[in-house]
Amino acid sequence: MSTSTQLPAPAATAGPGAGRPAPTRRRAVSAERPNYLAGVAGWIWLAIIIVPVYWIVITSFKAQSSYFRTNPMAPPAEPTLANYRLVIESGFLRYFLNSVIITVGTTVPAVLVSFMAAFAIVRGGQGRFLRVVNGVFLMGLAIPLQATIIPVYLIIIRLHLYDSLLALILPSIAFAIPLTVLILGNFIRDVPKELFESMRLDGATEWGTMWRLAFPLTRPALVTVSIYQALTVWNAFLLPLVLTQSPELRVLPLALWTFQGQYTINIPAVLASVVLTTLPILALYIIGRRQLLSGLAAGFTK
Amino acid sequence: MALAAPLGMSALASCGTAGPGQARAGEASIWYLSTQPQEGIRQAGVEAFNAANPDGKLALTFFQNDAYKAKIKTAIGADQAPTMIWTWGGGGLREYVRNGQVDDLTDWFAENPAVKDKRFAPSFGAATIDGRIYAVPCENVSPIVFYYNKDLFAQVGAQPPTTWNELMALVPVFNNAGIAPMSLGGQSRWTSMMWLEYLLDRIGGSEVFETIAGGEKDGWSHPAVTEALTKIQDFIRAGGFVNGFQSVTADSNADQALLYTGKAAMMLHGSWTYGGMKEDGGDFVPGGHLGFTTFPEVEGGVGDPAFAVGNPASYLALNSSATEEEKTIAKNYFANGLLTDADADNWITKAGSVPIVNGADAKFAGAADEEFLQFVYDLSSNAPVFAQSWDQALPPATADVLLTNIEQLFGLTITPEQWVANMNATQTS
Amino acid sequence: MTSAVGGGQRSLGWLVLPALLFFAAFGILPLLAVVALSFTSWDGLGEIMPAGLDSWTSVLADPGLPHALWVTFLIMALSWLVQTPVSILIGTFLARGHRYRAFLAVLYFLPLLLSSAAIAIAYKALLDPNFGLGAGLGVPWLVQNWLGEPVLALGTVVFVVSWQFIPFHSLVYQSAVRQIPVSLYEAARIDGAGRVRQFFAITLPQLKYTLITSSTLMVVGSLTFFDLIFVLTAGGPADATRALAVDMYLRGFRGNLMGPASVIATILVLVGLALALALRRLGGKDPTASQLEGA
Repeated sequence: MSTSTQLPAPAATAGPGAGRPAPTRRRAVSAERPNYLAGVAGWIWLAIIIVPVYWIVITSFKAQSSYFRTNPMAPPAEPTLANYRLVIESGFLRYFLNSVIITVGTTVPAVLVSFMAAFAIVRGGQGRFLRVVNGVFLMGLAIPLQATIIPVYLIIIRLHLYDSLLALILPSIAFAIPLTVLILGNFIRDVPKELFESMRLDGATEWGTMWRLAFPLTRPALVTVSIYQALTVWNAFLLPLVLTQSPELRVLPLALWTFQGQYTINIPAVLASVVLTTLPILALYIIGRRQLLSGLAAGFTK
Repeated sequence: MALAAPLGMSALASCGTAGPGQARAGEASIWYLSTQPQEGIRQAGVEAFNAANPDGKLALTFFQNDAYKAKIKTAIGADQAPTMIWTWGGGGLREYVRNGQVDDLTDWFAENPAVKDKRFAPSFGAATIDGRIYAVPCENVSPIVFYYNKDLFAQVGAQPPTTWNELMALVPVFNNAGIAPMSLGGQSRWTSMMWLEYLLDRIGGSEVFETIAGGEKDGWSHPAVTEALTKIQDFIRAGGFVNGFQSVTADSNADQALLYTGKAAMMLHGSWTYGGMKEDGGDFVPGGHLGFTTFPEVEGGVGDPAFAVGNPASYLALNSSATEEEKTIAKNYFANGLLTDADADNWITKAGSVPIVNGADAKFAGAADEEFLQFVYDLSSNAPVFAQSWDQALPPATADVLLTNIEQLFGLTITPEQWVANMNATQTS
Repeated sequence: MTSAVGGGQRSLGWLVLPALLFFAAFGILPLLAVVALSFTSWDGLGEIMPAGLDSWTSVLADPGLPHALWVTFLIMALSWLVQTPVSILIGTFLARGHRYRAFLAVLYFLPLLLSSAAIAIAYKALLDPNFGLGAGLGVPWLVQNWLGEPVLALGTVVFVVSWQFIPFHSLVYQSAVRQIPVSLYEAARIDGAGRVRQFFAITLPQLKYTLITSSTLMVVGSLTFFDLIFVLTAGGPADATRALAVDMYLRGFRGNLMGPASVIATILVLVGLALALALRRLGGKDPTASQLEGA
């Protein structure tokens, strides 16, 4: 079998939607005899994934007083919304709003500046300056940026930003840039060169080309990286833990963790806030699933 | 406790702006913790004081637990501390004293004997550093109590243990009946520590740990320490604690649940768990199924069986850099604002706890939890020594080593001898 | 290079400036600063004092460091060993378009939506030996001292990490598999190759670069598992799961020893860079860099 010679390098020529599978291709492969072994394994894996999720959901409807006295896997005999009420009364909306602010405040600028950088690197990548910049971003990809939390803490203090939402947004933007540049770069590269050429012949500036040609054509990728980075920021724990202090500035993951008194933690209430925290993302996931999954994967597999 | 937020985070952020604790002229400032129901009681106390003293009021600020720990440390360092410094006493207070940041109140107590006599004598232990008193005990007492499930004891036909050997003898009895003898939330570590605190005292008396806390070199080498460590490992090997106790967390109340759901027969825990079991345990507490007693005596031990461990009180120390005017207001508050009748009532009825006031038991009559409150009152007021948790009595860096070593001891991964060697190593520095 | 591109670059350079500025301020500067801080003594509150090699000597002499390195390595290696085969299999499985598999896929990716903190909190309660999963399902095998035995606790961390991240990596593999030309499989089938043979002869070799990308993300990512371990075990029991990132946090922000914590952070950075370079070697070239440089 010759596996390599036949490879027509699909990613290099395909357009921005390359990650999406062609339906005909799928049908052809699935024409095989069914694979029962894989089917069984697939359902077992589903159980592993779904049991904790199931438990989180049912427990969030149990009363704290019945939590330890009922079978943890059984649905609540008397479902209650008390935990949700408690969570919402305990400042959930405040934390939710904080999370929305840092998520939007990080994602939008991060994706925009990364898009500009990726465009410049792809279109002018032969220049020494841009090659160096590109190298720096790639290095950033390999470095665990969380390891720099101590100096980030110091810088934030020196900027008098400690205990503010901006303290979370600025480093988050920086942390998001390397990966975003990489993925967007991959997509911009897929835009056929002839299109850029014709724009240029029409007298468009690079600035205009970027916004009027590259931006719309890479829209799927922009959505993808936005969702991915938003998810990362939404779930961030270490930065808020180290860079904020006031209860009013708590974001959701941190609020989960601090949802406890000096000695006790109310598990059903914590799980109710887990559910509430996840709902907006679930909604996004349901709306943008296809886009997210195909685009995300394309960014990583090419 | 195990999840305390990073210290020092507030650090420089509070510089530059006027601290929230800064009082206006003619006021003294005080910071309190914001957890309920204590917050309400504290607030009511301050408001009552302010109403009665319009010429010398208090400026009150509340902080969340972890934030307070971070703030107070830096505020004291930056001379921005409030007039009155709320503390847990012990090791933390000792640091303030060593740096000359709090006033010696010994003479003031001598001039105001009524203030001193009003309070439980044992509550002064954690406020006393080298024989001098540096803080005013206030609020309530929370001893560590030996709880048991009466129904399970009836089921196996046993009596609550009064000695260590009786306790050891109960282990197989309960195990054979398919009941875990003892509940323990071992993942939280300080829960395991309470066992060592009681055992060491019962065996060697309270002086052993006092010497250690004083920083004596090789203090942990006392034979009573090794005996206590050996006894606890014997208990673990015999199956005394519930299976998998190291995966049980105290902050989720899973350890209490073991007791009230009848999965474990006994539990050593703080008096604050009574309220939790009452709330979550259904009929367990109201129906009288919860028993409580003192920690068993150890055969051959020299410790006083009336000795108690826990949180002896909360404390207010006086900031030495406060102005005379502020100090006067503060002392007025110490004498006339804290533990007033109304305040003591609130601690009993709203927090279900025992205020450290001699004679407070007169108010228990008719209270829902009269029996338990009386038990806590007797235990706390009669204790010759009311010791603090070890992790609070020791310097913070040592406390972390201690908890790690306790975890290893309970996991049977180190021997008592190794434990002693590891802990002695912290004494030298 | 054509003059068109060459002419573009002078005007294009400034476009990277905003991104570069952010990254320099909060990525590169801290990276340099962490090295600088490792030569100082700072308690996180007061003055930063130069301390020479004090922090380095104290950390390097501390038996906790090799232990933390070992724990980090174990978590990295084990979680890679668990995640990679499972992710490849799931990715391959999902890439074939049965309708029920599409349904499974929707559920498979659910863990992607949960934060590490939420997952850790949930598992901590779920693994309680008396009130957790094992007791609920009545499966004695599941009633273990999951977080209390050093070996089991490490295994639990690896499992939870895998549970959280396999969805993402199987997603990546799924679309990589979909990009493999069907003609390859058709040819193989004509040659009489069975499903297993096809997998090893076509699918796996074709996934080579995806494997490197995914492994890089896994390995570098595993250096920074902080929230999960911190909430799940806080490094315990004793120090059984005290990986470098947790050690750094506890030393720095709990123990107020920023100097030694910066040493740990520097080591983390060096390990991360070394691993990325090693993986790049392994793959013959950097799969990510090649994409950009080949423009």
